Amino acid sequence: MVLKLIKQVIKVGEATVLYPFTPVEVSPGFRGRPQHDPALCISCAACVQACPSNALTMETDPDRGIQTWGIFYGRCIYCARCEEVCPTGAIQLSHDFELAVMSKADLYERADYRLAACRRCGMLFAPAKEIEYVMALLEQADFSGQILAESRLLLELCPSCKRKMDLHKLVNLYQEADE
Amino acid sequence: MTSLEEKKPKTGQKYVDILHAQFGDAILDESWQAADQVTVTVDLNFLPQVVETLYYQHGGWLSTVAGSDERPLNGHFALYYALSVEGSDQDFATNGEKAFVVVRALIPPHKPEFPSVTPKVPAAIWYEREVRDMFGLRPVDLPDERRLVLPDDWPDGLYPLRKDAMDYRFRPTPTTDKETYDFIDLKGEGIIQVPLGPLHMTSDEPGHFRLYMEGETIVDADYRLFYIHRGMEKLAESRLNYDQVTFLTDRICGICGYAHNVAYCTSIERALEIEVPERAQYIRTILLEVERLHSHLLNLGLACHFVGFDTGFMQFFRVREKAMKMAELLTGSRKTYGMNLIGGVRRDILKDERTKTLKWLAEIREEVKELVSILLDTPNIVQRTQGIGMLEKKVARDYSPVGPTLRGSGFGRDTRKIHPYCAYDRIPWNMISEAGCDVLSRTLVRAQEFFESVAIVERCLEMMPEGPVLVEGFAYKPYRFALGYVEAPRGEDVHWSMLGDNQKLYRWKCRASTYNNWPSLRYMLRGNTFSDVPLIIASIDPCYSCTERVTVVDIRKKKVTLVPYKEMERYCMERKDSPLKQF
Repeated sequence: MVLKLIKQVIKVGEATVLYPFTPVEVSPGFRGRPQHDPALCISCAACVQACPSNALTMETDPDRGIQTWGIFYGRCIYCARCEEVCPTGAIQLSHDFELAVMSKADLYERADYRLAACRRCGMLFAPAKEIEYVMALLEQADFSGQILAESRLLLELCPSCKRKMDLHKLVNLYQEADE
Repeated sequence: MTSLEEKKPKTGQKYVDILHAQFGDAILDESWQAADQVTVTVDLNFLPQVVETLYYQHGGWLSTVAGSDERPLNGHFALYYALSVEGSDQDFATNGEKAFVVVRALIPPHKPEFPSVTPKVPAAIWYEREVRDMFGLRPVDLPDERRLVLPDDWPDGLYPLRKDAMDYRFRPTPTTDKETYDFIDLKGEGIIQVPLGPLHMTSDEPGHFRLYMEGETIVDADYRLFYIHRGMEKLAESRLNYDQVTFLTDRICGICGYAHNVAYCTSIERALEIEVPERAQYIRTILLEVERLHSHLLNLGLACHFVGFDTGFMQFFRVREKAMKMAELLTGSRKTYGMNLIGGVRRDILKDERTKTLKWLAEIREEVKELVSILLDTPNIVQRTQGIGMLEKKVARDYSPVGPTLRGSGFGRDTRKIHPYCAYDRIPWNMISEAGCDVLSRTLVRAQEFFESVAIVERCLEMMPEGPVLVEGFAYKPYRFALGYVEAPRGEDVHWSMLGDNQKLYRWKCRASTYNNWPSLRYMLRGNTFSDVPLIIASIDPCYSCTERVTVVDIRKKKVTLVPYKEMERYCMERKDSPLKQF
């Protein structure tokens, strides 16, 4: 038995890897640190809602008219739910796993997004980029010209103003029907 | 419930009929969660008799006991005794009707007590202590009145899992460092008490053991665990929605996390009658077996380590790296796979991954074959493990242990065969059991199961059907409940979940496999020597305990000495120069 063991040990040789003096290769689908691209992000907060550990946050500052997306890597569990639900692919998990930092503040990342005001009542109701995103989707769906312009007017209304405008439309429809 | 009833016949109906015949009016209600899962509500006074009848007369084994604060729903507390009823010895072979029969009883809030089942069914001991700690429901005539889960200085009258008791973040200020736990007091000429803990030898988690020794022979053992109880059940009720709890379940255990994940998901999927796509079931099976590979290799490595064969330990862990790499390739992480959502899995297995996995499996099989033969040829392995840590069949039948611990005592019980889930009833595989009842048998069970696991993964990869891997858009129905069960590397994992009306869990009872193995450990330790203790504890492969140093107390001479962990381990390996020599 000892002979078998010695043969085995010799065959295996040295099993020690050279990391950290050489980089370690991870599998293609490895789930490392989430990376956020603020240009692609539309501040929809889908990731914030999906995150099981509340690593992602969205804070609204009505006075400054800004919504702040934030991530705290100390809470992240690298589950990739944020990547799964993001409509624009703005947050994706990288292969980065060496995340030790010297100061806790380095584990926080933030991005500010301007909120749009309602065209009619001036209330801040949605991130401006979300509205632009919907417009882009409509354009891609071959909306154009008059219909596209009317859609924009609708999108730039807050929900209560939309409701009020709907009422007006209904009343007009009734009146037209009567005529 | 209609579609499920039409498709499958109700197994377990005969046990319900037997209960009706035997107990008449004491059986109040029955409701079916699945074709093989029924919940029978009984009169509280008849609870012990009903459980005993199912346990001893119809081959029942106690899977879990969940308490639940249902005062907001029906004004009572509720107890759910989940039994896996498998048919008595006489009709086991002929009429293999195996079903989960959950015995439910309601307890009025003004009189929070219930007749204890433990005097009739010893397996219920820990569950009833836990229910008392968490809900304040007093089991009348319970033989062991000590706290199980709560620390000594936890305020009286504060029961954490009651709906109105406390926020999940609340921590009462610690009042004292002194442990006031009453370990059993074994008196006798020359009996020495040897405490081990609370930081332990075979694992990295705390637990306080006391060994009662006569010379070098163990007369009895008592232990106390739950030092790192994390309050996950309350956490899941308060903070996570039912779909996010899957990520929490991955983190219940660092070795069998995925098994818990599948047990939880299947409990919710069963409750909501979601049909998981077939491909997803095969993927789940593959990942469950990949997890079993790394877990069994870890245990075999530890078995080597404790008989002093450290080279073998290192080699086993080197090979285990391949299993971890396999997991990383298939799921994106070496552990905490995060692969499940309610309704299926999140990721498919691609062609490249399949090819690589099959290659690694072939390599791992050859290497482990070599290592196991070296291990079994080691001169002292048989001598160190044969006849050691005996788990007698009667003790096993009384205490419902699970997994290789039970299968090493000759019982052919494996959840994958008895209550098949995922793809286990669609691919051929063998259940392993040994009849030796000792540490050697348990180790042999694990070694053979390793090779079965490799074969299962290979077959799954070959036989996987095409199709979707996740089903979305199912209806959420509040207050549905069901059991989910999985054969984790250590044994049966059972989750009982009830959904609330707010997309969160109303109650979640998560029973890890080692929970059922702990109560019988003291019987395994009796009659063995001090140096065998690490080996015996490692043989149940505890997912939950550790002791770091041994305090030796000679009650006659009133001397206390600290024996460091390294010394304890060294003595286990070298068997020379006992640290107890000074006595």
